[in-house]
Amino acid sequence: MSDRVDLQEFVGAFVAEADELVGSANSLLLEIETANAAGASRPRAVRDLFRALHTLKGLAGMIGVEPIVEIAHVLESLVRTADRAGGSLRRAAVDVCLQGVAAIGERVRAVAEHRGPAAVPPALLEAIAAALAGDERGPSPPAPIVAAWDAKLGAGERQQLGAALQDGGHAWTVTFAPGEELAARGITIATVRAALGALGDILKVLPRATPGPPAGLAFDILLVSDAAAAVIADAAATSLERVVELRLPGVVAGPAPAAASAEPLLADIPELEDDAPVTLGRSLVRVELARLDDLQEQLSLLIVSRFRLDRELAAHAAAGHDVRKLREIAALQGRQLRDLRRAILRARMVRVAEVLEPLPLLVRSLARAAQKEVRLELDARDAELDKAVADRLLPALVHLVRNAVDHAIELPEERVARGKSRTGTVRVRCAALGGTHVELAVEDDGRGIDRAAIARRAGHAIGDDRDLLAALVQPGFSTRDIATRTSGRGLGMDIVKRIATEILGGELALVTAPGVGTVFTLRVPLTISVIEVFAFECGAQAFVVPVAAVDEIIELPADLATEPPRRRGERVPVRMLDCRGHAVPLLSLGTVLAIDPGDGARKAIVTRRAGEPVAFAVDRMLGRHEVVVRPIDDPLVRVPGISGATDLGTGRPTLVLDLGALDLSGRERPN
Amino acid sequence: MKRLLIVDDSKLMRDMVAACLRPLGAVTFEFAGTGLEAIERLALAGFDLVVLDLNMPDVGGIEVVEFVRSQDRMRALPILIVTTRGDDESKARVLAAGASGFLPKPFAPAQIIAEVRRLLPVERAAT
Repeated sequence: MSDRVDLQEFVGAFVAEADELVGSANSLLLEIETANAAGASRPRAVRDLFRALHTLKGLAGMIGVEPIVEIAHVLESLVRTADRAGGSLRRAAVDVCLQGVAAIGERVRAVAEHRGPAAVPPALLEAIAAALAGDERGPSPPAPIVAAWDAKLGAGERQQLGAALQDGGHAWTVTFAPGEELAARGITIATVRAALGALGDILKVLPRATPGPPAGLAFDILLVSDAAAAVIADAAATSLERVVELRLPGVVAGPAPAAASAEPLLADIPELEDDAPVTLGRSLVRVELARLDDLQEQLSLLIVSRFRLDRELAAHAAAGHDVRKLREIAALQGRQLRDLRRAILRARMVRVAEVLEPLPLLVRSLARAAQKEVRLELDARDAELDKAVADRLLPALVHLVRNAVDHAIELPEERVARGKSRTGTVRVRCAALGGTHVELAVEDDGRGIDRAAIARRAGHAIGDDRDLLAALVQPGFSTRDIATRTSGRGLGMDIVKRIATEILGGELALVTAPGVGTVFTLRVPLTISVIEVFAFECGAQAFVVPVAAVDEIIELPADLATEPPRRRGERVPVRMLDCRGHAVPLLSLGTVLAIDPGDGARKAIVTRRAGEPVAFAVDRMLGRHEVVVRPIDDPLVRVPGISGATDLGTGRPTLVLDLGALDLSGRERPN
Repeated sequence: MKRLLIVDDSKLMRDMVAACLRPLGAVTFEFAGTGLEAIERLALAGFDLVVLDLNMPDVGGIEVVEFVRSQDRMRALPILIVTTRGDDESKARVLAAGASGFLPKPFAPAQIIAEVRRLLPVERAAT
């Protein structure tokens, strides 16, 4: 018999199999694209795509269709890179893959019609190479998830497992031991694999030598499935004790181990991958956050120069010039600036639901570590937040959720003993507040905060929930003598407070009831850096307050314009102002700030302190502006009640007041 | 008669490998489409040689090699890796894992016959 074999007899079979592979590559790419548009990734599809291209390359090589080998080779590199980077293929890469696969399909048809396949256009290879270069600085591989499987899983598989668990899915290790007897009944790893595949996603199968019969072999199958253990065992022709649900380790693996970190709050948070694929659909583009920051910076400069223009206009008008035409243009430009600002803000918005995505996995692992049963409910509806706010807010939310699971929710037995359901509930709600703020609440149905314990530790009596919160947010305050494994040592609540108020310029509030539960509420602005303010004068100095912090501005009655003289050391006098039939405490802002009084207050700014209305008398209002707030970062000059500085176009810094947090020198609470 | 197991996730590739090796004579071919099936078949029956692809779903060729080498019974089983991943690094890795031979795709029929003959002295069937 001759050794000579002509593989050309396989050309027909090649065309059939290659057509099939091209078809499946196309549908995998479409699946990836659809997932991208929904903000998801499909690591499994990326792997299958890689394999399809790899097989195409191998087969084309055997048959000798060089152009197909060439295209498949470069596409394979592109997809392999995506797989190693966590299994997401960006939009540009998907596009170029679709082109490449189409080019392969054309050449398969050429082979089928006994035409010579066309050479590969260099432009196509270049486009694929460019997509490859673009994808190489892709997201880092996801963090390890399950120790037992980690070493065996590729980045894409880990991503897939993490995503599944995060979505509340269940992961199982199913062990199947093949044997002759089973094989005789038609049960093999192939049939088991198919049966399990129908119940969920098989991420990985590992063969393992076992001592003794039946075959000295077992397969460990990593399955993500919502089916019950008994159903899985049945499908795998195995016993129930060989279906083991994966227990996550106590702490969600982050970039650094929590124990070694001085700031456990930040270290434990699974990294929000900043340059992770903000997976987008066809009509969308990815933009680096830094570019949006730049855009906003440019807008800020524009707003500042606009103030100067207004000043010049006012000066000209004061000098008796006719500025009506200019005023019209300025008004139009003002509206256009506002629209531009809104447009930029919209571009920076991320969905709060996305921001909350790390929480389910966190709660799951915390609950397991604490041996508690906790259900996490997320209700963010369609709320959106500036990415810059979202990034700063997440650590605070994580801490509150962590506290809720660790401290608030009782052990299942304790809950049952108290007549509650075994499973505790932690709910994170988010709602938009009037287009300028969002309110996020972390709510639990746990034991409530123990006032007496807090009072003992704080060394003073605790009155209402405000007092309680004030005690809790003292740096270093902790309600636990033994720091829990996950919650650290009470470093947290002061940081939560700082994030909510000082960093984001919002508010933190607390409501708690013994045995019923606790609600922490964070009220934060939708965006930071550009805000709308009222500018006003007080004692010949200009100040601004955020419009959002002002309930209303009212004309001060003549009898309240001047403050009665007061003696040294006396408290800031509080008078009462009639505000729509309600008596509201009125303080002189000049006195509070200890600055020289001007020629008499004419206006009162009504705001809220800890929820209660309070009015501050000021000299006169200077109008409503959009300003860029620069936070005062230097701790030496940080003063309660002053949230930042801005430039009204005068070239001098103007302080941004937070009237709600202004220090009244401990002399008197307005209520 | 020698028993050969041909493992590849592409049916066409399995068929082509078998076609290339048929001139050896006195051999029977069995096939597996995944690394898993390969391991199962190897665990349940004795083979004289395995022709193994590297890139397969769930369990790749390297894992099959590692499993085979972990079994006393199959420590000497010849394994010929046939792969599109023909670079030196892959070759070194595969041989380090315990494979007996390495043949990059595409290959000519004569090449794979030579490799299999080297690994498996087959009595040529009388022609």
